[in-house]
Amino acid sequence: MTEQGRTKTRVTDRSSASQWAVAWRRFKRNRAGVAGLVMVSTLILVAIFHGFLALYPARPDDRAFTPFYRRDTAQPPSLKYPFGTSAIGTDVFSDVIHGSVWALYVGVVATAITMGLAILVGAIAGYFGKWVDNILMRITETFLVLPSLLLILVFVRVFSISAGTGTWQFLGISLPPSLTIVVLILGIFNWASNARMVRGEFLRVQDLEFVQAEKALGASNWRIVFRHILPNILSSIILNATLTIAYAILLEAAVSFLGFGDPYTITWGQILKENFSEMRTVWWAEVFPGLAILFSVFGFNLLGDSLSDALNPRLRE
Amino acid sequence: MIPLLIGISIISFVAMYAAGDPITIITMGRPTITEAQRQAIRIYYGLDKPIPVQYVNWLSNILRGDFGISFGGQPVRLLIGQWFWPTVELQLISILLSVALSIPIGIMSAKNRYSKRDIAVTSVALFGVSMPTFWLGIILIIIFSHNLGWLPSAGAIGVPYLWPVFGIADPSLDHLAHLILPVTVLTYVSFAQNVRLVRANMLEILRSDYILAARASGLSERLVIYKHALRNAITPVITHLGISLGSVVGGAPMIEYVFNWPGLGRRFVDAAMNLDFPVIMGITMIITLMTLVANLIVDLSYAFIDPRVMVE
Repeated sequence: MTEQGRTKTRVTDRSSASQWAVAWRRFKRNRAGVAGLVMVSTLILVAIFHGFLALYPARPDDRAFTPFYRRDTAQPPSLKYPFGTSAIGTDVFSDVIHGSVWALYVGVVATAITMGLAILVGAIAGYFGKWVDNILMRITETFLVLPSLLLILVFVRVFSISAGTGTWQFLGISLPPSLTIVVLILGIFNWASNARMVRGEFLRVQDLEFVQAEKALGASNWRIVFRHILPNILSSIILNATLTIAYAILLEAAVSFLGFGDPYTITWGQILKENFSEMRTVWWAEVFPGLAILFSVFGFNLLGDSLSDALNPRLRE
Repeated sequence: MIPLLIGISIISFVAMYAAGDPITIITMGRPTITEAQRQAIRIYYGLDKPIPVQYVNWLSNILRGDFGISFGGQPVRLLIGQWFWPTVELQLISILLSVALSIPIGIMSAKNRYSKRDIAVTSVALFGVSMPTFWLGIILIIIFSHNLGWLPSAGAIGVPYLWPVFGIADPSLDHLAHLILPVTVLTYVSFAQNVRLVRANMLEILRSDYILAARASGLSERLVIYKHALRNAITPVITHLGISLGSVVGGAPMIEYVFNWPGLGRRFVDAAMNLDFPVIMGITMIITLMTLVANLIVDLSYAFIDPRVMVE
């Protein structure tokens, strides 16, 4: 209670600072949040420089199997192989480093799809209300109750059978087809809870005076939504996107581990799956990729939690 | 509830069969099967009819308790009957344990915010939600089963020998030994989610005016927390339990897979791998039904917890 009293007296003298500057100041003070930021930055740096950090090239390059040709299959961690070698004769350290690229790819692209759908559905439902809202929210509830992991498995299986093994070109970048299917399906199945969040934020913001004023001035729906409402709920969207990235990485690992992933793209879940049956001997090939997943997801979760503290309007300075 | 069930069944049914003719997909890699044989299989499973007709047939069969015949040849109803109880056993034990642990610990953590204990609880919880469930299972198997040799690593019963507990080879003790590791993993993961919810809600409630009023009127701290705050703090947890039961049961495939548990989740993975559509649809419907029943129980339980809610 004394805490509340103290914060209230400090409101006036910082009126010029923007919402983001205030949030950044609050965020900096949170050691957990800074730790999360460092972890996520590390992941991004490792993914950018994976070619330099890894000891051997990524599969399908044959040099990835160098330990196998040296008869060093299933060797425990040593100076030569920091994380040991896998049951099929690859260097686990290199596999993990290359996997970081795919972890980011999965997290970011799946989240972009999820958030895109969530904003679309949530905005339409929240802004137009009435029967539109009613119908969209019934659909959203259906998706919430859906046993999504089970359906994701079936969909991934059905679509990867027809995907083939080549590469897909998108804006000049070649994408692995099976993994991209996994990512698309993960994105499509996760939007429901985020759509509810966006709708709630829309309902909260559009009753505020500045939106009412803009409506009275005769602004178009597009202008109100894009210039006024969306910028005001951006903070909630960013924070939920951070948590969704973490969730998508976890889900992809599960899908790959169960054997539904892309066998030609070595994600962390894929490494876990490849060595699962041999884990009695090559325990290091199960421990280190899992630690990599834990590190990244933990980083994104820390970041998201701290962002929610920093951006929470109820705790404003 | 019924419209929701029908909605979900339509979504999964149409989406599954719209992906292409299942017989063609399944037999894609087998050049020796002729088109006439494929057609015979389609007619046998009723897959030659238009999708709406198939759906109505399937639905009316389900209502009569007939889940169809799996592509492996057994009636799906019998298969699900075998796999259902091991899953329910695993889930119920872990959910009950996690609720029993997360509510008092979450309250304790919120009451002493930023204390050492609170930081310990929040870190343990954050680890729990950041970990792949199956990976935790793998680590526990490596430690307790492969290295220490204390607990069995797979299955629900000891085959061919019973697992001795303190030197006693007894079927029920053996089953208990098989339960420990999977239950630990599931409990921890669900505890992590619930404790975060309880703590966040409790923090919000402890700041509210009616708690201030309760304290001001001189009630003991115990009464304030357990009578006035608790009821409001656990409502969201119960809501979360109801909504997430689908994903909890759905999350079990990983755990059942790692521990080779003979339940619905483990078999679902096999069915999805082989695209055994009758089994897939059967398990999906059972799990959805369980989720909806859980939601119903949750809605009814509000009436007990929150006096403002009346059951009409």
